[in-house]
Amino acid sequence: MTLHAWMVFALTLFCIGLYGVIARRNLIAILIGIELMLNAASINVLAINYFVSPEPAVGQIIVLFIIGLAAAEAAIALSIILGVYRQRASIDVTLLEELRG
Amino acid sequence: MMIGAVLAIVLTLAGAILAVGARNIVHAVFGLGICLCGVALAFLVLGSPFVAAMEVLIYIGGITVAMVFAVMLSTVGREEPREGMAKRVLAAIGALVFFGAGVAIILGMPEQITAPVTPEEAWSVEQIGRDLLNRFNLVFEALSLVLLLAIIGAITIASRSDESHDPTAGEGDS
Repeated sequence: MTLHAWMVFALTLFCIGLYGVIARRNLIAILIGIELMLNAASINVLAINYFVSPEPAVGQIIVLFIIGLAAAEAAIALSIILGVYRQRASIDVTLLEELRG
Repeated sequence: MMIGAVLAIVLTLAGAILAVGARNIVHAVFGLGICLCGVALAFLVLGSPFVAAMEVLIYIGGITVAMVFAVMLSTVGREEPREGMAKRVLAAIGALVFFGAGVAIILGMPEQITAPVTPEEAWSVEQIGRDLLNRFNLVFEALSLVLLLAIIGAITIASRSDESHDPTAGEGDS
């Protein structure tokens, strides 16, 4: 497989995640979409690292940082989701509209 | 090699479509797990077995399980109402426009190097560890700080439960 094929694959995954973020109303489903987008970015970095790599270890380290940040983000997001659910017994984003102008 | 790549792509895309399209949120989390297995396989094909192992450990073993717990604590077994048709069509149009623009950009790029590098010494775990603790030491420490703050913040947000229902209750006692 060529570099272009891998990048189009990563772009497809990113667009599926983007669709999920825009279309879904459940907060957990939106978080799943964000995780898909982060994974697409990781695949892209590793594909470029594999085909055009002066230093192969650096791309792997970047992906490790992405995974660590994604773990932190998921922990914060899930705790916020639990807090929202406790307060209003629902995690539908269309109901969270106090700050609407 | 080719079979592994095709299997990774099929697993990833099928899991992603299930994760985005499933009504039941538990099915969506399972779809995410399948998708992440495919991504780990893709990392393996791309010559990074260590990153693939970390993907399985952290994503499938950590984040997916945490999501299952969040579903269990919030909306377990509840079928959601379907989103409006207009919203889904708009989202699909937006994603397709983004996809088209991305493909145009990718195909406009020159194919830089056709021969992939062979996995050698530079790809080894030893090299990763050495770089992580020498050249990228500052980023490494910053990331550990971010993780610590995330854990503390998650505990703080998730455990603040009682005062949110009725802020005026219990003001005199305590």
